[in-house]
Amino acid sequence: MGNEKKQNKLKRLLAKRGMGQVITVTFGLVGLVIVFSLLNPFFLTSRNISNLLRQIAPTLLIGIGQSYVLITGNIDLSIGSVVGMSCMISATLMTKGVNPWVAVLITYLATTVIGFLNGQLIAKAKLPAFIATLGTMTIARGIAQIVNNNYNTDSIGEAARGFQQFFYYGKTFGLFNTIWITLVIWLFFDFLLSRTRTGRHLYAVGSNIHAAYLSGVNISSTITKAYLVSAFCATTVGLITTATSGMGTMDAGNGYELYAVAASVIGGVSTLGGQGILLGTVVGASIWGVLQNGLQFAGAPVAIRNIVIGIIVIITVLMDIFVRTNKKKGKG
Amino acid sequence: MGNIVELKQISKSFPGVKALDSVDFTLKAGEVLGLLGENGAGKSTLMKILAGVYTKDEGRIKIFGQEVEHLTPLTAQKLGIAIINQELNLCDHLTVAQNIFLGREILRRGVLHEKKMNAAARKLLEEFQIEIDPETMVGDLPVSKKQLVEIAKALSVEAKILIMDEPTSALTAKEIDNLFTIIKRLKEQGCGIVYISHRLEELQYIVDRVLILRDGKYIIDKPFKETTLSEIISYMVGREIKEKFPRVEEQVGETIFEVRNLNAGRMVRNISFSLRKGEIVGIAGLMGAGRTETTRAIFGADPKDSGQILIDGKEVEIREPRDAIKAGLVLVPEDRARDGLCTKLSVRENVALPNLDFLSSKLGLVNRKKEAEVTARAVKNFAIKLANPEVEAGSLSGGNQQKVIVSKWLARNSKVVIFDEPTRGIDVASKVEIYQIMNDLKKKGIGVLFVSSELPEILGISDRILVMADGRITKELDVKEATQDLILEYATKFEKKLASEPGAVEA
Repeated sequence: MGNEKKQNKLKRLLAKRGMGQVITVTFGLVGLVIVFSLLNPFFLTSRNISNLLRQIAPTLLIGIGQSYVLITGNIDLSIGSVVGMSCMISATLMTKGVNPWVAVLITYLATTVIGFLNGQLIAKAKLPAFIATLGTMTIARGIAQIVNNNYNTDSIGEAARGFQQFFYYGKTFGLFNTIWITLVIWLFFDFLLSRTRTGRHLYAVGSNIHAAYLSGVNISSTITKAYLVSAFCATTVGLITTATSGMGTMDAGNGYELYAVAASVIGGVSTLGGQGILLGTVVGASIWGVLQNGLQFAGAPVAIRNIVIGIIVIITVLMDIFVRTNKKKGKG
Repeated sequence: MGNIVELKQISKSFPGVKALDSVDFTLKAGEVLGLLGENGAGKSTLMKILAGVYTKDEGRIKIFGQEVEHLTPLTAQKLGIAIINQELNLCDHLTVAQNIFLGREILRRGVLHEKKMNAAARKLLEEFQIEIDPETMVGDLPVSKKQLVEIAKALSVEAKILIMDEPTSALTAKEIDNLFTIIKRLKEQGCGIVYISHRLEELQYIVDRVLILRDGKYIIDKPFKETTLSEIISYMVGREIKEKFPRVEEQVGETIFEVRNLNAGRMVRNISFSLRKGEIVGIAGLMGAGRTETTRAIFGADPKDSGQILIDGKEVEIREPRDAIKAGLVLVPEDRARDGLCTKLSVRENVALPNLDFLSSKLGLVNRKKEAEVTARAVKNFAIKLANPEVEAGSLSGGNQQKVIVSKWLARNSKVVIFDEPTRGIDVASKVEIYQIMNDLKKKGIGVLFVSSELPEILGISDRILVMADGRITKELDVKEATQDLILEYATKFEKKLASEPGAVEA
């Protein structure tokens, strides 16, 4: 009986929309892991796995935010700059002697403004997402530079030890805290997306904005929510960055918006909106992390890693389009 | 003349559905063939196979006597097959001429020769008496004109085999006349034309032969002269439909809905009317009379300039659709591809979308059990044909998509339901189902406002008729005194715009 119930649950999970793509890329991920573990015997040691997971965590976090925005049919290019802004604001406050947790709170509030601005510019003022977030990307980077007068900060010091432990160095039940934080955030946003009214509205807006509007969906609040989630996730990554290096760097998060797009798209989130699930983003971020880590292990320079990863993003998107068009032909 | 198209034993399956089952089909040069059948009978699928959009599972295709194995859209085009789709395939951001020449642009020294293309498009449009400036943006045109552009585009490639899937569903009476003239001319030139339409009354003007499909199977083909409409309908549905317009008489009660002096742009001017318990009010008028604009303004989809809306005697403020929905007023929209469905979402998610307020908890958690129940009820009540509610809404046939749209709005308890062209492009049996639904609402005391371009159904279903012309209500008629001629008289009652010009329009 219990077994049957379990089977039903499994069936339901497999029937879930978007699951097909997730399963396909999971095979890709397994393949990559096998290749790298054959190339390097240390790849699958528990120590490296633990590091690997911690390396994947930030990519997954920004991927969650970008997935939310992509599902509404938009894009967020300000993610990287918000990471930088978060890193600089939190670190600057801490070096000025502000209590680290108060600094964290202020940081979240400050970056929320960027998320809110993105949402309003796109939903209310009807700017194309690409242009609006390109603008806020520059603004947020400017803020990151101005908060400490165009200098990276000094060390955030002893008082922030607890903060560093919480976001990066500490472990709970044998796993790095970063991983736990990411897991909690992922669980929360996955639930929000798949089980709540807000989540449904996000998909509806991305699938057909006119039909959603006529169905009583509040378009501007829905889109703004997606950008707020994106800003929240990016801010968390910024805090992790501060905790990691113990200081604020102005160019922290440079280029992260594209990593976020990559994690989402590899995981099956459509850039056209209305499609994708956060489980896919996990697999997408993992592929990204495994590639980074594996290529690093194999001794490939950063430039080569960038080229390889860029190519992989293009190939997965191509495959995605290929699969989708074929499916259409077969089904109509 | 021999057969220019011969399809033998064509079969095609989609996951969970056998769309076509050993269908035979022929088309002769110089004939207009009416391809008929209910929604989901396989008409569009069969024609998409002929146009190379779908590949057949089994069967043989002969075109101009040549056996063709692999038909793609491109080879079909080269063989002279053109298809005018039910869904419009035009780029809104390009001009009419740019759309007509899309993919076959005329170049001069490697640069687009816009002037020549515009001139050629103008000549083509004039030849077929289509009154559209080739340099307007397609996105600025109303649906009926877009349909004409689509037709002009197909004509421009000089097709020998022309497939028209519901070409008249968005056209005005005059444009339909015009289209029929075009069809007759093409026929004389030796083209074979496949004509798909749910408006059976049109057939007599143009069709030479009918071929009927039902549930993916070939039923019969017959010269049109040797058959009757009721015979055709009984072949289509496999049973007789008795009442085309089932009417129920109800006691008319108190006023539940009132619109006072509504103004919204040029197309909605000083609209006032009321709706009482137990009646259906129809809005008649020509294309462009402001009917859709009026319903959209009432529902809050477009902004209002002024005016009051009262439900149960109390004024309600409607700024956006969600205000209307909250107040108990819903709109089943006209343009279903654009406004009706999230095609990439499942049928379940579509049905639930406007009803998430009562399908989710205070914290916003969707109650999946309730959601499944509501969907199951909708599928059952509206006899929506689907494998399961998780399939993408966009994968259903046109009529079933329409049923999903209607069902999503009727899944909640509303006080007033506005239907904008609810029967456009759907078959007779489904039409009757929609009428029954409206009657049920009427019996329950729910106000029904019903916009339609088809006068017979307006006269057959409504209790009271508002006639609109030029953004105004020109007459309110009781159904007992209303006739087609009377409605048309008021529907063409335009304001005198050029007072000085003698003989200015005043019907």
